[in-house]
Amino acid sequence: MKDLKHRVFFEHLLSDIKNELVSEALDAGQKALGYSCYFVPEVLMNLDGCFSVRLRAPGIADTSIATYYMSEKTCMYSRSILERAIEGGYNFFSALLSTETCSMMHRAHEHFEMLNLVKDQNEDFFVSHIDAPFVTKDYAVKHYARQLKKHVLDRLQSVYGIDVSEKKLLEAIDKHNELCRVVTEIGNYRKQDNPPLTGYEFHLIELVSECCPHDLILPYLRETLEELKTRTPDDAPWYRVRVVLAGGENDDPDFTKLIEDCGAFVVADRYCFGSLPGREEIAVRDGETALDAIARHYIETNECPRFMNPEKVHGRKQYLRQLADAYRADGLIVQQMKFCEYWEYERMYCQHVMEPEYDLPCMGIEKEYVNTSTGQLRTRFQAFVEALEMKKLAKEG
Amino acid sequence: MKYYGGCDVGSTYTKAVILDETGRIAASTILRSKINAAQSSHLAMEQCLSQIPELAKPEDLAYIVGTGYGRNRVPFAHENISEISCHAMGVHITDPTVKAIIDIGGQDIKGIAVAPDGTVKNFAMNDKCAAGTGRFYEAMAHSFEMSLEEFSTLSLKAKNVIPITAQCTVFAESEVIALVGEGKAPEEIAAGIQMAVAKRCFVMAKKAGAINQITLTGGCAKNEGLKKAIEKVLKLKVVELKTDPQLMGALGAAEFARKKGGKTA
Repeated sequence: MKDLKHRVFFEHLLSDIKNELVSEALDAGQKALGYSCYFVPEVLMNLDGCFSVRLRAPGIADTSIATYYMSEKTCMYSRSILERAIEGGYNFFSALLSTETCSMMHRAHEHFEMLNLVKDQNEDFFVSHIDAPFVTKDYAVKHYARQLKKHVLDRLQSVYGIDVSEKKLLEAIDKHNELCRVVTEIGNYRKQDNPPLTGYEFHLIELVSECCPHDLILPYLRETLEELKTRTPDDAPWYRVRVVLAGGENDDPDFTKLIEDCGAFVVADRYCFGSLPGREEIAVRDGETALDAIARHYIETNECPRFMNPEKVHGRKQYLRQLADAYRADGLIVQQMKFCEYWEYERMYCQHVMEPEYDLPCMGIEKEYVNTSTGQLRTRFQAFVEALEMKKLAKEG
Repeated sequence: MKYYGGCDVGSTYTKAVILDETGRIAASTILRSKINAAQSSHLAMEQCLSQIPELAKPEDLAYIVGTGYGRNRVPFAHENISEISCHAMGVHITDPTVKAIIDIGGQDIKGIAVAPDGTVKNFAMNDKCAAGTGRFYEAMAHSFEMSLEEFSTLSLKAKNVIPITAQCTVFAESEVIALVGEGKAPEEIAAGIQMAVAKRCFVMAKKAGAINQITLTGGCAKNEGLKKAIEKVLKLKVVELKTDPQLMGALGAAEFARKKGGKTA
């Protein structure tokens, strides 16, 4: 299959958090707002005058200083973010919007304040912490909306003069939905038997949509979508089996590539930084304010294992089964960063129930933020692919 | 007569097996791995081929499967299959009654549950750290200035066991040196090391679903002291294989080659 026109460019954009599109937006006077979690609605950070950048630490090699502050028993993602911040990698940020979704990431963000990071370069820089609910009831959604107003909108308005009026919020939703439509349409090609894109390529596309200013990346995404309409795949599908990749933080396209190199096409991305959920359009219901609609949307679509009420716990497994059906996956890989407080439990749970109760063979992987030693991972993925193939053959008689 | 080859390029040893078309082992070899996996595979296959007069070169084999960590770098293989699937198949054709395997290789431990047809039912694998692997044993034996065989024999002499708390190879080595310095009985320290690895195997065996019996494969399967410790810790019968357990990966690869080569012939 011929290379995607912008694949190398997308890879280049992801090699540095302050990439050329981010720099272009900064030069135009826009404010860069960092965030790490789905509980901080991306749409609120893309009002006129500002743009969102999801926190990554590409190329991080060592987290010694962050480990001193946070201990080695914290996930490597949170330590990598802090290390990169200490190195000055986020000095272009105007604000860091945080939630206490997981205590480790929250601690990393607190260190931005405690160590006076970024602020010594930009005295207006602030860190704002949102109290995100653990339940999905109406009162929790209202609380969440109040938190978003107080810790995101009010701060952006008072510190940077961002217009957070209802009109501007509705405009932001429209723009956000357009980006979601394009990314979703691209992602839907993964449902085909012989698709014109790989899971790795889609991972790149989803990540650039989260790490670049939306108005600047959107033309490239639209062009990619047009390209896919006529891109001809090889005669026979390149993969041996199809898998859903689920789990916690994963902003490493090479991890997806490693899985695909072992013969498993990653057809669906249900992990933090993935598009399922993440790229669903926000609907504003009659009588609902834009902020209420946003709060409701991000609670309703949220698949974080932080929600422990039975409907959500079972709903997450059903969602994985639905994804497997929609994308015709043969199996499920649940990956989790070592020391992740939520996904560690969820991964084990999935390993126990997904095959016997949901007829979806499941493999669990504990990984690091930087996966340098890939030999063992490769063996596991290949063995899983071989086992799935055997199961497929057995089913086909 | 057609022949089929399996080449298991491990991190420490490279193994090769040639099967004839009836499934009989016609040749086998085990040699220390070189840094270059392709070179290791060539050397192992050459040694195997030299045992069968009618064969001269890898191309004389009807089908070859590569396995082991260097499976992607076996230049003459028609395809590669993970060592997890190959160990399951190797054990299955050696003793079909065995349903659970602990494979202790040079750099990892795997627990493998075998389905009735010899395919993998389930598997578990240790993290990337070398605790409890062949490398771990080499480091421990080195602390005692002994060979692995001598170390294994030493552990069998112990009347008591001194627990080793560190799982990390580096820390365990320091702990062993400290215990030796304190004048503790070497055989009891050695037994403690065997017990620590056996406990690690327990986790793998349970994750893989072992119920009443297991077998050991990989180079460490020849460690009698470990076998005894596993029987004690796991309370499971350790089944002896009639073929060298270190050959199971290569044997399984050769069997896959026989199955696949037979179909394509």
